[in-house]
Amino acid sequence: MKFDSILDVIGDTPLVRIDPGVHGLRNVDLYAKMEMLNPFGSVKDRPAWNMARAGLAEAVERGDAIVELSSGNTAKALAVVAAMHGLPFKSVTNRMKVPELKDLLLLLGAQIEELPGQTECLDPTDSEDPLTRMYRMLSEEGNGHLHTDQYFNPRNPEAHRVGTAPEIIKDLDGEGPDIFIACVGTAGSSTGVATVLRENNPDVRVVGLVSTKSDFIPGIRNIDEVNEVGLFDPNNYDVLEPVSAQQAIDGMLVLNRRCGILGGPTAGAAYFGAVRHLASIDATLETRKSAVFIVCDRVESYMSYVRRLRPELLKQPARPNSLDTVTEDELCSVESMDVTAARDWISVERPVVVDLRGSFAYSTLHIEGSINIVDELFDELVRGGLPFGAGQPALLVCPVGEKSARYAALLTRMGHRDVRSLRGGVVAWRDAGAPLVRD
Amino acid sequence: MTPQVSGLLQDVLAHPGVLSGMVEALGSPLNVVVPQKIEENAATYRSVYGTHRLTGQVYFAHKANRSTALIRELAAGEIGVDVASLGELQHVLAAGFAGDRIMATGPKDADFLWLAAKVGAIVNADSEQELTELAEITARHRMPAVRAMIRLSAFDSPGVKVLSRPSRFGVHQRELPSVFDILDRHRDRIELLGVSYHLDTNGLDEKALALDGCLLAMHDAVTRGFAPRAIDIGGGFGANYLADRDEWESYTTELSKSVLGTRPSMTWQSHGYGLRAEAGTLRGALGIYPSYRPVAGARYLDELLSRTAPSLGRPFATLLMESMYDLYIEPGRALVDQCGLTLARVAEVRSTAAGETMVRLEANSRDISAEDHAVFMDPVFVCDDPIDADPVGVYLSGNLCLEDDLITRRRVTLPRMPVRGELLAFVNTAGYFMDFAADHALMQPIARKVAVYPAGDSWRWCLDDQYWPVKGNRE
Ligand SMILES: Cc1ncc(COP(=O)(O)O)c(C=O)c1O
Repeated sequence: MKFDSILDVIGDTPLVRIDPGVHGLRNVDLYAKMEMLNPFGSVKDRPAWNMARAGLAEAVERGDAIVELSSGNTAKALAVVAAMHGLPFKSVTNRMKVPELKDLLLLLGAQIEELPGQTECLDPTDSEDPLTRMYRMLSEEGNGHLHTDQYFNPRNPEAHRVGTAPEIIKDLDGEGPDIFIACVGTAGSSTGVATVLRENNPDVRVVGLVSTKSDFIPGIRNIDEVNEVGLFDPNNYDVLEPVSAQQAIDGMLVLNRRCGILGGPTAGAAYFGAVRHLASIDATLETRKSAVFIVCDRVESYMSYVRRLRPELLKQPARPNSLDTVTEDELCSVESMDVTAARDWISVERPVVVDLRGSFAYSTLHIEGSINIVDELFDELVRGGLPFGAGQPALLVCPVGEKSARYAALLTRMGHRDVRSLRGGVVAWRDAGAPLVRD
Repeated sequence: MTPQVSGLLQDVLAHPGVLSGMVEALGSPLNVVVPQKIEENAATYRSVYGTHRLTGQVYFAHKANRSTALIRELAAGEIGVDVASLGELQHVLAAGFAGDRIMATGPKDADFLWLAAKVGAIVNADSEQELTELAEITARHRMPAVRAMIRLSAFDSPGVKVLSRPSRFGVHQRELPSVFDILDRHRDRIELLGVSYHLDTNGLDEKALALDGCLLAMHDAVTRGFAPRAIDIGGGFGANYLADRDEWESYTTELSKSVLGTRPSMTWQSHGYGLRAEAGTLRGALGIYPSYRPVAGARYLDELLSRTAPSLGRPFATLLMESMYDLYIEPGRALVDQCGLTLARVAEVRSTAAGETMVRLEANSRDISAEDHAVFMDPVFVCDDPIDADPVGVYLSGNLCLEDDLITRRRVTLPRMPVRGELLAFVNTAGYFMDFAADHALMQPIARKVAVYPAGDSWRWCLDDQYWPVKGNRE
């Protein structure tokens, strides 16, 4: 395979069968349409390119910016397309909820604006919604924009009509699936694919998946939000079903761990919704049926999402010399010094004074002669051993004297012979009127 | 939509006879406040300080309610009060607040500045002009130095640009150098206590950005040789009004369907609360208060403090503690959560030409005001007998001769058809709704206010301005 441009690599994604031993359905062959294998990583590569391509030549000529209301995969694909053509890309979003994607967009050179939240003292006449704001921004700034308008642009579903859907039909030997399951975001992929599948086989059953109302699944809208999408038409779906964020992660884990398909939460939602829907009809089937769902994008950018919803999945193995292994007994035998004693000790023994606070606070005010090793860094250091000689007297200082006592206990256990903690911390030091410097 | 009702408000509603007696004597509408609850609420904020090991002070934003009883109760306790006008300042002084527990916010004229400075309140300065005027006043009247905070309003974000609604108040982060110049010139007149913000938003991202900006501003102040000690993050922590998440979620779904026309209307003249349908697509934004709000009040504060500062990279609580800064907060609405209700008597029940039921109350929309603030909660039907009937959907209208005097633009559900003389209770109206908008329109009297307090196994009441903290049981 040889291509002239990465843009030519968009599309022609494989259809992968899910092992029946994994999904457990007896009468259904379930296939995953691998949109995550597009070059920019998602189901949005096709519509993004299809929408941008239309006005690209003129945009390049005028040096226009590409603009879109997106915080996700469309923004990512458009950012690449824009960058490749030397154009700026601007995205206005309701809320960027996936931090990794934010960083990636910045890396690709995108400019992103997050819209403000709702006012607390409500002004009911305020009609500020993201779309209106975006349109106003476009008209205020005049020309110079190529607005791809993914929620309304017919070139979005078209990309799936001419690409995704025929590929699915071809790979199922011209038959097309009996059931098609898709998550609904801009409704582009579900609408585009469903239209063609229906032309091919009017009996195809189309299941649209939305998120439960109080949950957030990247790229999917909830049952109310879909109504704000110009491309959304409820008649395109035989049924709309909700999936929760936890269910999406359940589905994602099965795809990741048991099928080797490294799809993200939206893929997980599609898989979970597909199996749930199919399981309810599996026993009633008299003939074999086939079903297809879409794997929207890759898992890599959702680690913070997973950490928030399922922290136990990312649990780190216990670290050696970690602070949580300090026992009450060890803590009790720590030598904690009050401010007066500490000042005497410092002037006589000249211990190293280690301030464990963040560098921001340290640089504002600290005990003269102290050095700053931020607790996070100190954690790293003590994992490997004592950060200073076992005989070097040391006084540890933190805001209120709790953390420093724990570290003193830990260092003592590790063999340090004279490490002490400042009782009451730097707060007590200040309150006692002892000098603090900024040098 | 079932309102959240807890604490003494529940006991109050359990005595319909006493309530109708009160309305009989004092008229409809009637406001009821629960002074002792506000102290309980303050304690929940204190406990957030406790878990994060923070020091500082809670200032009740007086503007949320005019009650004298609430202010006197607070004067007896530990927390401070935030006043936004000369009238409020005089009110809290008369209730027993000493100047050192008062924070003066909002736009301030010379009179307000003079009295605030005179009693030793903290002046939370809104602009450079205000600071200059404050310095002049303290000089001219030979007062000791006044503690002041600088209200900041717009902040630059690292990385992704976080937009914020423009505010009429405060100075931009970039104007700080010239603010410091003013303070430098008046070091003996004004003591810089710290910086502040109050943003009218429920977005945590914007507030996190603002707090980050405040920490940086404190650093700048130290660099300029000041010794600031406190950051004031204002209020706006919000309240949860509803008992049930599912009710709220399904209601808002049905509302958008009704705007799209796929189900019958649920609102007066198909009012869309900011939503409209265009070619089968929903446009606009639902301009209503998130009435069901699991992250509100003290929990909202906790979430903010637990966040990582965008530019400083450590949790806010840690940064505040490490920098030894006091945290000041100014909750208004959130501090009077469950502290009040408004009673209104049914004046008339009639059918409209379209077959809707319209219940007119002896109160107007400004007395109840929940509609102005777009808080969706149904009133509680106050009634002695057990109810054995089908619920009814009605519109509530007010007693003004104005077409738009609707107490609710949406149909609310009552357990049965009310009759003239019966009472409806609007629960949890203490924050803003009770008297923020109330006035003498069309020469209608504004609501009287009573304070209720536990006494023995039951509760007692008195006129709001007859309440002093010596009343009622205390453990
Ligand atoms: C300076 C200031 N502090 C506090 C508040 C109270 O806010 P809330 O009642 O939303 O807590 C307000 C409200 O406008 C305010 O302007």
